[in-house]
Amino acid sequence: MNAIRKKANAAPDVAALDRKALEAIGRALKAHHADLVQAPLPEKLVELLARLKVGDSASEPQGSGDANG
Amino acid sequence: MPTARFREELLGEMKNLRAFAVSLSGSVSLADDLVQESLLRAWSNSEKFEPGTSLRAWLFTILRNLYYSNYRKHAREVQDSDGFYSRRLTVSGDQESHLDLEDFRRVFTMLPAEQREVLMLIGASGLSYEEAATICEVGIGTIKSRLSRARSKLVELLGRNDLSGRPIEQKIRRAS
Repeated sequence: MNAIRKKANAAPDVAALDRKALEAIGRALKAHHADLVQAPLPEKLVELLARLKVGDSASEPQGSGDANG
Repeated sequence: MPTARFREELLGEMKNLRAFAVSLSGSVSLADDLVQESLLRAWSNSEKFEPGTSLRAWLFTILRNLYYSNYRKHAREVQDSDGFYSRRLTVSGDQESHLDLEDFRRVFTMLPAEQREVLMLIGASGLSYEEAATICEVGIGTIKSRLSRARSKLVELLGRNDLSGRPIEQKIRRAS
């Protein structure tokens, strides 16, 4: 703690402050995103997803050239 | 008809797409409508998706176009994301540097949409400058300058000294 106080009283190194500030913002952005991504999907969307019907088991897309037999 | 594989990959992108939608619109209810409409649009246009390219980028493009053409005018009226986010999460860095997530969100929503989206695309969703440029229909130089302006603005709003010094929540939390 003493070290931190001393640092705060010293003349700030602007470049270092900027770098640290940008790092803090990068972390905050990732935390913001991670928090959103972990939220459960709303019920109406889950229901909609469940209703999406796919082509039958012979489900290779037409003309994709991605047949694996 | 879309394939089972397309469906699986689409399902895997839903939460990411929703995170982008919430951040872009600032509203959970608008975001959910946006995601739903994007999903239906992606589903009925699945043959237009080129396998091997980024499904995430493709979905973001669809959602973003919908937002700017149909939803943007409502966005400022319904800022209802409060109560959706986890409360008072702290983003910890090294010992001296903590940033309260709620404080970050408050300033994040003050940025213009074009800056929020670039932050989300590159800083949060891990897309490349090239992908972001394609999604936003601008050049890479524009993406870089928007990103730089967005970061500078966040630093300015949050306070450079606070970001690199003492915990910001100590400064902002109101004495009651």
